Amino acid sequence: MALAAVQEYFQPGSPGEAVQLLSKYQDRAIVLAGGTFVHGLAARGLLPRVGAFIDLQRAGLTFIKPQPEGLTIGATTTFTDLAASEIVRMNPALGAVRDALRYPPPQICNMATVGGCIASATPLFDLPVAVMALDGRVKAQGPQGTREIGLHTFYLDYFEHVLQRTELLTEILIPKLPSKSASAFLKLETNANDLALLNVAVRITLDDKGVCTEARVVVGGGIGKVPVRAVSCEDVLKGRQPSAARIRESGNVVAFDIHPVSDHRTSAKYRSTVAKVFVRRALERALARLGVALQEAR
Amino acid sequence: MKQVIALHINGEIHEVAVRPHDTLLHVLREELGLIGTKKGCDAGGCGCCTVLLEGKAVYSCMVFVMAAQNRKITTIEGLQENGRLDPLQEAFMQAGAVQCGYCTCGMIMSAKSFLSHQPDPSEQEIREGIAGNLCRCTGYQKIVDAIKMAAANKQTAPRM
Repeated sequence: MALAAVQEYFQPGSPGEAVQLLSKYQDRAIVLAGGTFVHGLAARGLLPRVGAFIDLQRAGLTFIKPQPEGLTIGATTTFTDLAASEIVRMNPALGAVRDALRYPPPQICNMATVGGCIASATPLFDLPVAVMALDGRVKAQGPQGTREIGLHTFYLDYFEHVLQRTELLTEILIPKLPSKSASAFLKLETNANDLALLNVAVRITLDDKGVCTEARVVVGGGIGKVPVRAVSCEDVLKGRQPSAARIRESGNVVAFDIHPVSDHRTSAKYRSTVAKVFVRRALERALARLGVALQEAR
Repeated sequence: MKQVIALHINGEIHEVAVRPHDTLLHVLREELGLIGTKKGCDAGGCGCCTVLLEGKAVYSCMVFVMAAQNRKITTIEGLQENGRLDPLQEAFMQAGAVQCGYCTCGMIMSAKSFLSHQPDPSEQEIREGIAGNLCRCTGYQKIVDAIKMAAANKQTAPRM
């Protein structure tokens, strides 16, 4: 068993203490938040040198703070706690987060954390795609202080992100969106405990006349090493009033931005086909959250 | 190297020598003999190792035992009170919700978890509540029936 080399277990009382431990152990330690993906990483041979766990449950990073500039979520906040928060349940702009948290089974939601999910840098996970569609950022603390990084530039490759070995992801920041904004997320899976074959998150902002002023479309899950922003889909929407034909067109152009892979789980062709449909359906869902029901042109 | 820690399981304190990478599932079964909690996939995919941590269902194969210190752990062995089975256990027997039995303890622990905050669940909510538990025998219907029955019995049971 890959983790049998682990001899030490730390529960630091603050993010600063955790950073000190990371500085000392570097790649010989792994940070535990919920811990649900550690065995997954070990099984892939990604933790060969790990001899210590740094468990964050006492580091004071479990919190949800709605603030004027946006929502701040502590790294060790569980899926269950985030899904139960009033702002996530009620705010249409956070619909994509709400949707993404509905997919994992209860046992995962009760353990898995927002920070762990994002820091695992797995392109098959759901929450990172939802948070990317909301222009989310992460806050990291290191020996030299803290910095913020947009999630769009956070991921580099499978299981790789831009953080240094000595940096700790402490918070996720979701900026407040203009008033007529809504988002939605959809996932293609084979069973209730599956990683995404494909997932899509969208967000749309309308002005008082119902014209789309801003849009995001993000696709993840088997379409590459990191989730991808589908700018072509966004461009079809921006500056125009959404209609059934327009959002169908937005879905149809997703092929310009994504390069799905074929693997043992499904084919690239199937992923491409579903991506088109899911972009359209996610946009329909987001628009419905703004009270916009689309009529098919006759 | 092993170290001795204290675990709060089913209302009792257990002192046990563990390794830092041991899972809660391993310690429950192999060190403490609490074999009602089953080992299936050992990778968070099947649900038969489900226990409650602070009242919430978790996969014990994914919990490092060190992380379970100072938190209340409930296993299937902890559900009976004064020799009386939990209404869920009774309902599983009455509904015939058990075939091979391997998933049963995990199913009951998942149901215990969501019934604590959803005492009157719809069928859809029951199915979502056990979405993290696989059964390869029953087709789930009798399990769903049993959980419905337990919820109904609890609703009508006289308050002691």
